[in-house]
Amino acid sequence: MAEKPEPVRVLYCQVCGLPAEYCEFGPDFEKCKPWIIQNAPDLYPDLLKEANERQADKAAEQLQSVGISSSGDAGGGIQGQADPSGSNIASKPEELKRLPGGKIKKKEKQEVLIEKIVRNKRKCVTVVKGLDLFGVKLSDASKKLGKKFATGASVVKGPTDKEQIDVQGDISYDIVGFITETWSEVPESAIFFIEDGKKVAAA
Amino acid sequence: MFKKFTFEDISAQNQVKTSVQRKIRQNIVDEYPGLEPLMDDLLPKKVPLIVAKCQNHLNLVVVSNVPLFFNVRDGPYMPTLRLLHQYPNIMKKLQVDRGAIKFVLSGANIMCPGLTSPGGALDEDVREETPVAIMAEGKQHALAIGFTKMSAKDIKSINKGIGVDTMHYLNDGLWKMQRLV
Ligand SMILES: [Zn+2]
Repeated sequence: MAEKPEPVRVLYCQVCGLPAEYCEFGPDFEKCKPWIIQNAPDLYPDLLKEANERQADKAAEQLQSVGISSSGDAGGGIQGQADPSGSNIASKPEELKRLPGGKIKKKEKQEVLIEKIVRNKRKCVTVVKGLDLFGVKLSDASKKLGKKFATGASVVKGPTDKEQIDVQGDISYDIVGFITETWSEVPESAIFFIEDGKKVAAA
Repeated sequence: MFKKFTFEDISAQNQVKTSVQRKIRQNIVDEYPGLEPLMDDLLPKKVPLIVAKCQNHLNLVVVSNVPLFFNVRDGPYMPTLRLLHQYPNIMKKLQVDRGAIKFVLSGANIMCPGLTSPGGALDEDVREETPVAIMAEGKQHALAIGFTKMSAKDIKSINKGIGVDTMHYLNDGLWKMQRLV
């Protein structure tokens, strides 16, 4: 009898479940990226580079808009401009056309949406979407928001599979000023509230 | 085959008789001699072997709720991708080029040019009607399990049409069904 082969240990992505090397072809590469950067950066050497470049680009770029929303899952259509050097491998037909490089198709608009969600009558969460489209690192932003408003803030996956920041409590009135002061690349004209499913300009 | 596969496609799950179990083991070993030393681990004699009958004459061989092999009618047993990933050398391999990956992952059968282009690769010994591992350009792990419609030589010389039927692929219903509970 032949020798017993050792099983190969495959690194499966904990986000999409595929072998990590196939995340780029998976249902949502964008969602896998934070995990990949942590666990398998060598598989996608361009990812780190790209993230850095994007931040640098963003700071310099002329920015268009940030949205702020207040209820359920409205305002899902956050759209943003990605950096123009997008790598084209395979795109997937979805409303948010994200390229496998995690870039967002150009025609999409860059804006921040702020939405207040009321849970159990009194408890309330303010959801901030789209800061990442301005090159703002969400984990950073989340920390800053939590500190500024002395509350809990965390980066979570939103209903449209994009990452958003959930801030405990209703901070929707003070948040616009804070965003524009903290991240000068985000113009007030690009910030919107989502109220009853409608987008309302903050400016 | 497993594109939309769910628990609802399983019509019956039966523990098979020892004689049937023995036959299944033998068929698997005949098809994949490399698995012989592992058979006692994969299909332990003392653990009940379940055959789940599904739509379209599909059978799943299940041990401790984990699907390990499948076949159609009396056709050859094929490993699930999760099992193949652990023991990649048990099957002959064909490789598709990078451009074909997304099509395979949407369940498409494999066209000859995807295997004969510079990114593809063919093991010339592969005959027709044979289970094969579908590898992909630039990737280490198998993308799909296929069943050849043509021999590798024909795939190369004819170079058009479907060369391999895609039986099971990453993220299809069987892939997502890690356990039957
Ligand atoms: Zn993934």
